[in-house]
Amino acid sequence: MIRTFDPRWLFAALIPALLVAAFSVRGDDLDPRILKMERERIEVIKKVQPSVVAVLTGGGSGVLIDEEGYALTNFHVTEAARSPVMKCGLPNGILYDAVLVGLDKVGDVALIKLLPKKPGDKFPFAKLGDSDTVHAGDWSLAMGNPFLLATDFTPTVTFGLVSGVHRYQYPAGTLLEYTDCIQIDTSINPGNSGGPLFDMKGELIGINGRGSFEKRGRVNSGVGYAISINQIKNFLPQLKAGMDTDHASLGFRVETDEEEGRLLSKLVVKQIITSDAQRRGVEVDDQVVSFAGKPIGSVNQYKNILGLYPKGWRLPFVYRRLNEKKQTETHETLVRLMGVQRQELPQPGQPGPGPGPGPRPGPGPRPPVPSSPASKLYEAKAGFANFHFNKSEQERLMKAFRKHGDFSKASGDWGIRTSGTLYAGVGPRGKRIVADLMVRNKGAKDRQNDLIQAIVDGLDYSMEPLGDEEKQSTRSDPPDSGGLLMAFYQYRQLLIHGTKGFASACSHGGVEPFYPPREGQTKPDYAKMRVDAEVLRTSHASVSGKWYFSKQNDDTAGQLLGFEIWLDREKDPCEVYLSDYKDVGGDGKLPHRIEVHYGDKVYAVLTVNSWKKEASK
Amino acid sequence: MKRLRSLLALSILAPIFAATATTARGEESFTQICEKVNPKLVKLFGAGGFRGLASYGSGAIVSPDGYILTVNSHILDTQDLRVHLSDGTPYHAKVVAIEPELDVALVKIGDNKNKVEDLPYFDVVEAAKRPPVEPGTGVLAFSNQFQIATRDEPMSIQRGVVASYSKLAGRIGIFEATYKGDVYVVDAITNNPGAGGGALTTRKGELLALIGKELRNELTNTWINYAIPVSARITVSQADGNPATVSILDILEKKEKYKALTPPKKNEGPGVYTGIILVADPVERTPPFIEDIVPGSPADNAKLQADDLIVYVDGILVGDIHAYNDVLSRYHPNQTVKLEIQRDRKLQTISLKLDKPKTKKAPDKK
Repeated sequence: MIRTFDPRWLFAALIPALLVAAFSVRGDDLDPRILKMERERIEVIKKVQPSVVAVLTGGGSGVLIDEEGYALTNFHVTEAARSPVMKCGLPNGILYDAVLVGLDKVGDVALIKLLPKKPGDKFPFAKLGDSDTVHAGDWSLAMGNPFLLATDFTPTVTFGLVSGVHRYQYPAGTLLEYTDCIQIDTSINPGNSGGPLFDMKGELIGINGRGSFEKRGRVNSGVGYAISINQIKNFLPQLKAGMDTDHASLGFRVETDEEEGRLLSKLVVKQIITSDAQRRGVEVDDQVVSFAGKPIGSVNQYKNILGLYPKGWRLPFVYRRLNEKKQTETHETLVRLMGVQRQELPQPGQPGPGPGPGPRPGPGPRPPVPSSPASKLYEAKAGFANFHFNKSEQERLMKAFRKHGDFSKASGDWGIRTSGTLYAGVGPRGKRIVADLMVRNKGAKDRQNDLIQAIVDGLDYSMEPLGDEEKQSTRSDPPDSGGLLMAFYQYRQLLIHGTKGFASACSHGGVEPFYPPREGQTKPDYAKMRVDAEVLRTSHASVSGKWYFSKQNDDTAGQLLGFEIWLDREKDPCEVYLSDYKDVGGDGKLPHRIEVHYGDKVYAVLTVNSWKKEASK
Repeated sequence: MKRLRSLLALSILAPIFAATATTARGEESFTQICEKVNPKLVKLFGAGGFRGLASYGSGAIVSPDGYILTVNSHILDTQDLRVHLSDGTPYHAKVVAIEPELDVALVKIGDNKNKVEDLPYFDVVEAAKRPPVEPGTGVLAFSNQFQIATRDEPMSIQRGVVASYSKLAGRIGIFEATYKGDVYVVDAITNNPGAGGGALTTRKGELLALIGKELRNELTNTWINYAIPVSARITVSQADGNPATVSILDILEKKEKYKALTPPKKNEGPGVYTGIILVADPVERTPPFIEDIVPGSPADNAKLQADDLIVYVDGILVGDIHAYNDVLSRYHPNQTVKLEIQRDRKLQTISLKLDKPKTKKAPDKK
């Protein structure tokens, strides 16, 4: 088949396999720049290699991302393990016990934690890179345990090009959707699943998880995909909180119009369902302009950008609409993302597209959790990957929260006297009012339930939050506030009882963006307003709450920035923004500026003149 | 000789470090090469979509007014061939010329109504003048394999090394390849679904060859990754016994006036005889329902009946008569195929031994 060539070219054709030999024979003659690059590559591999994990239970790979032993891998690897406790090997040759921490089934990511051999032992780990700076044509290193070759846990290294970035790969059902992923010609094979993709600085840019396979079988065919590390960063706090996370939908489909010879310019909204986007005024045929600050021009871009964010996040959405004068107007609004997974559990046995481990999750119950030192770190709970980690995150958060004030002894009556400006039903200029809110401990007629009372702008309100006969209309009092009375009651509950104040449910929700309003602002700049906050999700008195705590690395850490109270998940919540914390006696600090929003409107901005909090009689 | 050897080693290692090495020399990085090459490539969409046959492909723009070179494949066999430029602009395309001996085709976008001009393109005349690159040379491959890119998303880039420059001897499924001339064989897995018609370039982004189809090596039965050099020319003996030579450049020069040496096969139906008479095919996508069976034919022996619907041929879904004919045309007489047919709402499997095509009787002249 090969024509007659000068024999040295025959030799050359075989060279890729003989590279090392050729190098050692002719090393002295090589261009110093090539030698330098070779050396640098070897150094990078040496540097990152200790962080590469062989996930033995499940038959895949992983990578350590901090000294505590947290490691990333694929969901489809942990799913194949069929157990929350597993065994992992590190390149030092040591076998470790590990436990499942968090899951992102849609994104095909799992967080696991390796247990140190001695308490306090530190693990080697990889530095997280910035996958948005990766380009097609960049070199990359994939490391892991293809074909489970490494019995001593020394990872295999492959080297190749980034073939494409911002790639979109369809999900299998609603799971394993690869959005905004990195395409590589770096060889990845079964067993590489969950392993790291490094750039040539040795920074982690992705998690290898999938390939395009067809006629050539389930081995490398020149096209592999890695989940971008920037997407994983958004989910990481949720994973660390032991959550079984979900990806997001905006609540509508989009379509492009195709026209011969014209560059498509319009991506329009189709089929909008009951959602926050709809409540914010988005309509069918509106043109999608940007989401989360990123311009969107195609369906794949839309799916790519949406795939980066977890359910529940609130992000700015810009759309364009033809107004009555046939001119386009651009609108910007914050939209709360809804989930993509159906509430019921996914059907097992769906074909996974990954190059991952051989056995697929089959139907049938999971085997019981085997006994392992890691079993102590596992607690099963519906909707969570491992509730043990959620509880420890809650405890850590509450400890930080209590530093700003411990009101656990003030379990009696509470009240605030405020003055400020009411906007609801008044207009943009507002109206000066006084508003007093109070919770009477066991103040209801039956002497068991609590009673909330308020006087707002001269009108009296009262409500029993746990009373059976209460109707929705009084629960959402005062009108147009979304339920300020209920919000005040829930806030007192948190201040007195912490996470224990929410009998129905309480969980840590990871980290989400929060947008405290700025005074005197005409057009909001969401990018500037955004702060990332730790989230606590609660349920009490048939009301769900979402609480946002500062995670600034300063003395405000753990301070409550605000909260949302949902009387009805299909409607808007009452949003309460807290600031101007001041000492209130010996117990700690409480906010003295309270801004209340409902829907797209400001309800009122209130200044607290006094806080009253009493011990239980 | 020592100097030569070191040069050799360099030429082998250089492609591996090319990105950084060339940057160090003030040349372009692979990322910049991608940006330069991508606008000269298009995504093609046409026939196919059933098992094993992709309905998409790749093409290289070869003139500023919209001529596109691609491989000759089943995706061109449609009235609705579409092209997406690198910026996402959609066009309908028509097939201008097909040369099965070279396994390439020329398609065109734009017409008087929708004029196309000033497209970035590969200068194939210049490219064909360059001597073939030697084995061991680093190369880049650009294609829309697996249809990973849509709209304005860039093609996939892969890197590899030319393993040999040699005659192609492969087969597609159970077919021999029509092109038997020189090809580049590369060490990267370039020839994936939809990659055909993509560009194999030097590591500076200069066009070397068109990525070929998915082929298996005839001897080893392994998949082969090859590309047809733009300088490809081939001499074949024609029906009249005289040899004729054709090249890719001939096609580009003559364009619409180009006459293929071997006219492309029209949809003439099975090259084998079954005795199955299908229903008339008045609309596109008529399902392959059996209208009648020729008595004493292989189909009659296999107990096929009128009104049976042919669903699978050897496991390949045949959604319409066109697909059925296409699949069956790949078989040889005396082979046995397994048909899965639907009869009375139930699927059943029937083995059918294929016969030689009946010699056509003299046309019934009246």
